[in-house]
Amino acid sequence: MASYDSDYSGSNDRQYTNGEITVFWKPNKCIHATTCYKELIEVFNPRKRPWVNMNGASTEEIIRVVNLCPTEALTFKYNKNLSEQPVRQILPETENEVRVMRDGPLVIKGNFKVYGPDGTEYKRMKMVSICRCGASLQMPFCDGTHRKIGFTGK
Amino acid sequence: MNDEQTFEIHIIENGPTHIKGKFSFKDSAGNLSAEHNELFFCRCGRSKNKPFCDGSHKNQWQTPE
Repeated sequence: MASYDSDYSGSNDRQYTNGEITVFWKPNKCIHATTCYKELIEVFNPRKRPWVNMNGASTEEIIRVVNLCPTEALTFKYNKNLSEQPVRQILPETENEVRVMRDGPLVIKGNFKVYGPDGTEYKRMKMVSICRCGASLQMPFCDGTHRKIGFTGK
Repeated sequence: MNDEQTFEIHIIENGPTHIKGKFSFKDSAGNLSAEHNELFFCRCGRSKNKPFCDGSHKNQWQTPE
């Protein structure tokens, strides 16, 4: 668990607004599930700076994709409620699905439980990315290391 | 809890991801196959049959610390 120390946490946090909502980005919480940019590249484009373009889609569409983020890396607030806690709407019940990302992790959605090698249950989530490259430092979860090591796998 | 609802992911020590329950599976080309009950996915990156486990992890791979 050496990759992110607590001092680092927070220093690179960013926020982006379209006047109606503000999207909060916490890079140290990102597990590189790639959901945001695969769903909505017009708004979430890692190759651009800033990487979030709040004018790229409707507020409703941005909220939909923020809520698909499997961690709290992406959250949002309505600007009229900025003093409140960031909003994460409860995801609708989704079909149980296991999906392989090419050269990347296993992405699991639905109503599942995850158990570690010793049988303890991890925190409940609606979506999770499991490492496939063998090199994550956040095992069993993906931390994006597959890109650094050039992992390939269908 | 009835079997219809079961969907469990078991991380096997120095081994694969064991998924059991009722779930659909989408491969990296986007092909969807429904109604799986049990699959073992490679976690070490060494399988010759990715995304599935072929036993290549044995004595070859340990979870990074």
